[in-house]
Amino acid sequence: MKILCKFFFKLLKLAAIIYGILFIVFYYDLDGKFLYYIWEPFMVKRFDNMKRADTTTTPYSMTENVE
Amino acid sequence: MGFSFKDIKSKYRELFVVEKPRNEKDKARDLKKTVHDFWYGKPHEERRLGDLYVGNTGLYKHREWRGFVDTMYYFNMIWLYNYGHMVSDIIKYGEGPGALVDFLKGTMRYRWMGQTYLTAMHWFDRGLEGSRGETLRASAWHYRAMVSETVRQITRMFQCDKKIHNGEIPEKWNKTIAHNETLSGNIFYGFRDNLDDVPLEMVPYFVSVHVNNHTVLNYIDAAQSLGLPADPCPMCQAEYGLFVHDDYPDYSPVMLTSNEACDGSVATSVLQDWFLNRPLYAMPQPMRYDDPLVQKHCQKEIEGAWKFVEEQFGVKMDWDLYVKYAESFNKLTEFEWEKWDVAANTPSYPITGVAQALYRIYYSQAGDRPIWHEVDDRVRRIMNKTVGNKIETFPKTRHRAIAWSCAPLYYSHWCTWAYNCWGINCVINMDSLMFDQYLRTDTYEHALEDLSWFNEKAPMRAMAVGGHEHILSLFDYMERFNCDMVIMYDQLQCKGMQGIHGIFEDEFRKRNIHAIWVPHALPDKRTVSRAEIRGIINDYMTTVMREEPLDPSLLDFDDSMSW
Repeated sequence: MKILCKFFFKLLKLAAIIYGILFIVFYYDLDGKFLYYIWEPFMVKRFDNMKRADTTTTPYSMTENVE
Repeated sequence: MGFSFKDIKSKYRELFVVEKPRNEKDKARDLKKTVHDFWYGKPHEERRLGDLYVGNTGLYKHREWRGFVDTMYYFNMIWLYNYGHMVSDIIKYGEGPGALVDFLKGTMRYRWMGQTYLTAMHWFDRGLEGSRGETLRASAWHYRAMVSETVRQITRMFQCDKKIHNGEIPEKWNKTIAHNETLSGNIFYGFRDNLDDVPLEMVPYFVSVHVNNHTVLNYIDAAQSLGLPADPCPMCQAEYGLFVHDDYPDYSPVMLTSNEACDGSVATSVLQDWFLNRPLYAMPQPMRYDDPLVQKHCQKEIEGAWKFVEEQFGVKMDWDLYVKYAESFNKLTEFEWEKWDVAANTPSYPITGVAQALYRIYYSQAGDRPIWHEVDDRVRRIMNKTVGNKIETFPKTRHRAIAWSCAPLYYSHWCTWAYNCWGINCVINMDSLMFDQYLRTDTYEHALEDLSWFNEKAPMRAMAVGGHEHILSLFDYMERFNCDMVIMYDQLQCKGMQGIHGIFEDEFRKRNIHAIWVPHALPDKRTVSRAEIRGIINDYMTTVMREEPLDPSLLDFDDSMSW
């Protein structure tokens, strides 16, 4: 019983620490700062350098007459 | 390259420290007031929300302290809840954790996904700035529904996308209908249990601009890089720019298009026909939509769309299914009318202008989905509380405004700013009032007639480019919603609306109405910036209305690089 209580107390403590850290991330907008200063520039670079198909080479044809 | 302690300190100050105005610094600390502000939040006039921004980024040095209860609600029920549900929604709509892999592949493949949608919580922040109590709760639920439906569409697109599956045809590719975002999801109710429909540009273009307006500029530039003209509606440019940029998911064997909102969309259909190179059904609506002579034609167009889907997928249109979903959708319409009634006749309407507008246009365009009903039930409970207890939801209202014509997508949350800064409460807007059509299901003929009317009352058509007599219905709605001010959107690249500018000027003068013209270029913030829009409203409020701002820190700030 004592071991079980100890385990739950530890679990509760861990949950409280995670909750506290998440609140700090939320309050100081750390998610926004990460996405703005780190994630977005990385993705922009990736997409700017991505090889893309030349869609203008797609043939344009009609299979049916327009009524 | 090294960093000195001074650099780190200055970066820390830039990112985290809110500088107090000089008069605040000199004040002696009042412990009682500090405790009061901690628990209830600062009074509106003392908030200084503009001081929270980091430079021109729109980021916050720290998120707003709304009082203990509302801050904890925001943290638990908005921030944590939505981050958590974004993941669980992918698993739910993707029918298993495997959908997370497709989601990751799509994030790394498509600019509109990888660059845009992870910033969704800042979309909430901008739209809910300054909100408190029941307004915060009801408006946030609207955003939650939009996020959930966006995740549904993204998940379905990625599940079926040939491009992220090495060109192989995924199982659901042959069970998914692609259509223009301006073609209502209502059309496909009769196929809903066998096929699913996903509007092609809704998530890659329309919603993305609201969440993070950086991405769309690539598509506009891509469209013009072909030598296509730069002066058509930038919405149409962005829609076909997706194809020029090869940034559209290939998730369906067919495409159904529409000429909504205007003739610019006809060009989009032609270009999509070229780039997609697959069976395409165009379902145009007449410009003078309410001409009795065109009604039969519109109904035939819908039947033609059903026939097209039947032929392409080998699935019969099921009348009973149509009835089931149309009747379910009618419940959303009934609640919408209830909301309008509360907005028009009481000071207890708990939804911000931006949440009202985006939610309404999203669900009525996408069609019936369970998430809209879940959210409406929650909002109904909140609204019953505010009305029952006579809670004044926007207590600093100085002016009740109606917003007319189409809004700047990159600044749809201007109304949140306008209330916080000037007490301008945007009660209703044109986009919310469209699709005002109940769908009868008693007979096939009635159903077809109403479905046709519903589509004719689509964005812009019913009250903008569909005939000048309709757009002047602004004044009837102004009276109905007890408004004393008009925010008149002036989409600089909309030829239809530009042509009618003078008539409005005359009417405003004749009727002695306070109207503020807000120029913009729909998704393109480079033409008219958000700061310029605020400057125009500030000028009107100081020079014409001779009013003082509620929060002076919001008068002038730089958010040019903000999402």
